[in-house]
Amino acid sequence: MKASYRWLRSLVPQLTAPPEELAQRLTGAGLEVEAIHRYGVGAAACLVAKVVSTRPHPTKSGLKLVTVDRGAAATQELVCGAPNVPEPGGLVVLAPLGAYLPAKNMTIEKRAIAGVESEGMLCSEAELGLSDDGDGILVLPPGTASAGAPFVAAVPEAEDYIFDINLTPNRPDCLGHVGIAREIAALYSYPWAPPTPKVATLSGTTIESLGVGVRIDETSRCPHYGAAAAEGVQVKASPLWLRYRLASLGVRPISNIVDITNLVMLEFGHPMHAFDLDRLERGAPGSALISVRVAKEGETLVTLDGVERTLAADDLVIADGQKAIALAGVMGGKGSEIHDGTTRIVFECAYFEPRTVRRTARRHALHTDASHRFERGVDPSDIEAVLASAAAWTAKLAHAQIAAGTLHVQGNVRFPKTIRLRAPRLRALLGVDVPWTEALDILVRLGNKLVTSTAATAELEPPPHRPDLTREVDLIEEVLRVRGIDNVPEILPAIHPTPDSGGDEVFRERVRAAAVTAGLSEAIVLGMTSPAALAKVKAEAPTVFLKNPLAEHQGAMRTSLLPGLLESVSQARRREQPDARLFAMGPVFIASAEGLPTEPLVLTAVLSGTASFRAYLSKAEPVDVWDAKGAAETLLFALTGQKPTLERGELPPQVHPRGGAWLQVGGKRVGYMGPLHPDVVDAFDLGAHPVMIVSLDLEALRIIGRAAPKFQAIPKFPANARDISLVVKDVVPAGDVQDALKNAAGPLAEDVELFDRFTGGSTPKDHVNLAFRVRYRAADRTLTDAEVDAFHEKARAAVELRFGAQLRT
Amino acid sequence: MSDPQADIENKLAALREAYGPRFAAAETEQQLRDENAKILGKKGELTAILKEMGKVPGEARKAIGEKTNALKQEVEKAFEVALAALHQAAREADLKGRPFDLTLPGRTPVGPGHKHPISMVREELIGIFRTLGFGVHDGREVELEENNFTKLGFPPDHPATDMQDSFWTTSGHLLRTHTSNIQVRAMMGHKPPMAFIAPGAVYRRDDDATHSPMFHQLEAFLIDEGVSMAHLRGVLRAFAERFFGPGTPVRLRPSYFPFVEPGAEVDFGCTFCKQPDGTRAGCTICKQTGWIEVLGCGMIHPVVFESCGIDPEKYTGFALGMGLDRLAMLRYDIPHLRLMFENDPRFLAQF
Repeated sequence: MKASYRWLRSLVPQLTAPPEELAQRLTGAGLEVEAIHRYGVGAAACLVAKVVSTRPHPTKSGLKLVTVDRGAAATQELVCGAPNVPEPGGLVVLAPLGAYLPAKNMTIEKRAIAGVESEGMLCSEAELGLSDDGDGILVLPPGTASAGAPFVAAVPEAEDYIFDINLTPNRPDCLGHVGIAREIAALYSYPWAPPTPKVATLSGTTIESLGVGVRIDETSRCPHYGAAAAEGVQVKASPLWLRYRLASLGVRPISNIVDITNLVMLEFGHPMHAFDLDRLERGAPGSALISVRVAKEGETLVTLDGVERTLAADDLVIADGQKAIALAGVMGGKGSEIHDGTTRIVFECAYFEPRTVRRTARRHALHTDASHRFERGVDPSDIEAVLASAAAWTAKLAHAQIAAGTLHVQGNVRFPKTIRLRAPRLRALLGVDVPWTEALDILVRLGNKLVTSTAATAELEPPPHRPDLTREVDLIEEVLRVRGIDNVPEILPAIHPTPDSGGDEVFRERVRAAAVTAGLSEAIVLGMTSPAALAKVKAEAPTVFLKNPLAEHQGAMRTSLLPGLLESVSQARRREQPDARLFAMGPVFIASAEGLPTEPLVLTAVLSGTASFRAYLSKAEPVDVWDAKGAAETLLFALTGQKPTLERGELPPQVHPRGGAWLQVGGKRVGYMGPLHPDVVDAFDLGAHPVMIVSLDLEALRIIGRAAPKFQAIPKFPANARDISLVVKDVVPAGDVQDALKNAAGPLAEDVELFDRFTGGSTPKDHVNLAFRVRYRAADRTLTDAEVDAFHEKARAAVELRFGAQLRT
Repeated sequence: MSDPQADIENKLAALREAYGPRFAAAETEQQLRDENAKILGKKGELTAILKEMGKVPGEARKAIGEKTNALKQEVEKAFEVALAALHQAAREADLKGRPFDLTLPGRTPVGPGHKHPISMVREELIGIFRTLGFGVHDGREVELEENNFTKLGFPPDHPATDMQDSFWTTSGHLLRTHTSNIQVRAMMGHKPPMAFIAPGAVYRRDDDATHSPMFHQLEAFLIDEGVSMAHLRGVLRAFAERFFGPGTPVRLRPSYFPFVEPGAEVDFGCTFCKQPDGTRAGCTICKQTGWIEVLGCGMIHPVVFESCGIDPEKYTGFALGMGLDRLAMLRYDIPHLRLMFENDPRFLAQF
């Protein structure tokens, strides 16, 4: 909502607070002033000047030399290029030397134009920052002011402060200046009286004799329809003050009648509409000229914006005897629009039920100044005043005769019920003692009627312009708002510590910490994706779909975090960042037969580019499946306290069958890992660098929980280590050799470590050289070399027998 | 002198017989490509035939030209088929190849990764509220309209719902538009007193430079006998001191959210232009006001208590909600929301 400071001051004459201060007070009371704009800044420095004579420019044909009278008998000659310089005697606006015109970021200086010195400029509205009209200079109507008068003294509306107020949807009363003025009066304790427009010019006719009648078919949706009529209307441009007032508030001036409906809407916050009476068609004899009814299914109406709209049976329309002429509360029809030749008009001012207007506005995607106000609830009690104001302006600005009387057809208009306010409740909710008389005074200043009151309770009737006041707590908020929240003390409550409900967050924090330990960085992946993207990663097809997605590629809820992560990897590569070690944690969405979908928590990690491990001063190696294994082991050990085992049964389709594996903890599958399946690599065009993935079922891991570490006695006796280097067929898994060594070396072999592995050189083809270190230790004594040699020889013999391993010498 | 037309026809016939077996014989992609180049390349056999076309007299030239082109297309197609077959064979060989030895030890990462800035702020805030006595309540993202709107007092067909344009699922559920749904879930599942916080992802139909359709919030609410606006202010003060630093000014402005009354928006003193003397100089972050808008709050509306079966005469409470994304941006000086959702490794590595 844009509000004019000048207008507000005229409605609250006692108001002296400068704009900044008023803005702060309004913001403090819940009418947030987001910005203050100055309107017509350039206008303030300008003067009214009278054209004395005009002669052609000596060299340039498009220019004129204009002599103007700038008051106090001073004249000056200026160069002017405008096509519309008036005849001598015409009034124009002069920007004198030194004037600054912010709209053009220009300071008027003495300069030569095509060889002729010019000291000043005759201005257009665009140059003055008043409108977009820059086609010619502004010519003032005769008699506006005498030469030399400051321009803003002649047309005060040409200079103003405009407030941008971010109104919350519960305050429709402040969608007009009268409402904001009433609020200001209450905030500053100034006396308040709403404007009471008087209709001056009455024609001999009555509204009925003009043939205007109204019938409401839908009284629950239009409880009150008011109409006024005028004849002898002269449609023309509005006077400057009205045009500037509208322009300053962001409304384009059109013609006096249309401008009047807008002015009155901006004044009272109550939209109205003007029909050309002669363009309304009559129906059957005896039927009302205007009716308020629902549309016939498929009925069409060309609205003022020129769009032909097919109406739904739920749309409320205003109709003449033949057809729909307006979408009630939303937009008028093109066919009955005011035009230059209009002479007889009907004004409409009605109360439409908010939900009716909202449904129609949404259905037709038409958000208008009118629908915005009706949706929020206009004041049902001001219809007479609004019509009177419009009539008075029409008499004055369009020289019209107003038909006597206004027409009102009313159903059951709901006015607010009384509300009981209790002093103890006020205190309990705000936590501060508000003097009871002060509280009641605030409420009365805001327009509530005090019906009865005692020292502890009061019955109040809220005003009809405040549909948001329905309960005691609404009144309590009003008291707080007007008094200022700063008056409430800050008291830290003693909160009884509340245990977590669900424990999900503690678990999430553990997972996040574990993933970071595993060298992964946290990515955030959108909850929505597309069936196609999920198919590309061979994930389960989605089962939760959006009815109104923003885009097709966000039409379903994810069943896998992989599409989002791979997109991130892909984007990083486009930015020349091939190395990514990312994880994302979050729910996937699975529809259930009844009720809400399940949202199991999963973690998925992607490792791509070079491995994080890099030996000192060595070349970076591409990431491989053992990096994925390391990350999975680190994660799972942090989460469960156990080392996972890898199982290679039928694998999930996302991983390469040669390198993929299920991850098991305590015999349960808790996830999988491996190189990304080449089909998925191709689908995301990620072939340039290897991609490994790890995915964990966090619901299963949550149940397994973390085993607390159990203390193991620290050995008292030294270990004795032996290395063994074996050449085995390269199809033999190193782990099998390792396990066999451990078993064969006997119970005193506490640890077998693979410390080297190589092929080539003297190693036969299809063979691999494995080097292990076996550590022997007894808990109760120091082992002798001879003992250890014996164990070790037994171990060697066993693996040689089993794997055909040759001891490398 | 040979008849140029017959000569070309013979060559074409020979090539038609030969190209199939030649392509089939290629064992690698390179061999196949070489073979293809021998036929269709600049110095290829078919190209050579085309060059001889000039010798053929006018009328016959057209017919033979068409034949040659037809063969050219045939060969091109056969090449594509053969190439795809080679790829397919290679893919199958790759998939069926000898498994990697996964018994080899896993390689342990050397350096730690990084938490997302939104998570860091989330954990920090939870820490602050836990010390004040709040517990964390689980949430869910697909929600019933009842829990997201109706029980929170959003009137149907009311402009208040415009503030939160929702994604609906085809089953008639919606993606929660705020974490306030947890107020309803907590009140339905627990008896007062209760003090909960609920962090999580929320969704609204906005996608532009300053909005992501998915973002993150944290809700905090206290319900007990005798809870007042003064307690809300006390908690806001404690939050400001611990999150933004001691002495941070707090300002409440009345505002409107359907599920609280009185409702307010809360500004904190700008942390970016704070001067040594505690005043604010004004900067672009706070738009020269010295204040940054951070959260919404208020006293829980009696209609919410009523719809959740709690007696609003006996119990009162307050609720507050804040955007984690915005707090992370403020905390870590992140200029654009978009950066938070792109997962650029260079971004993530900074936190």
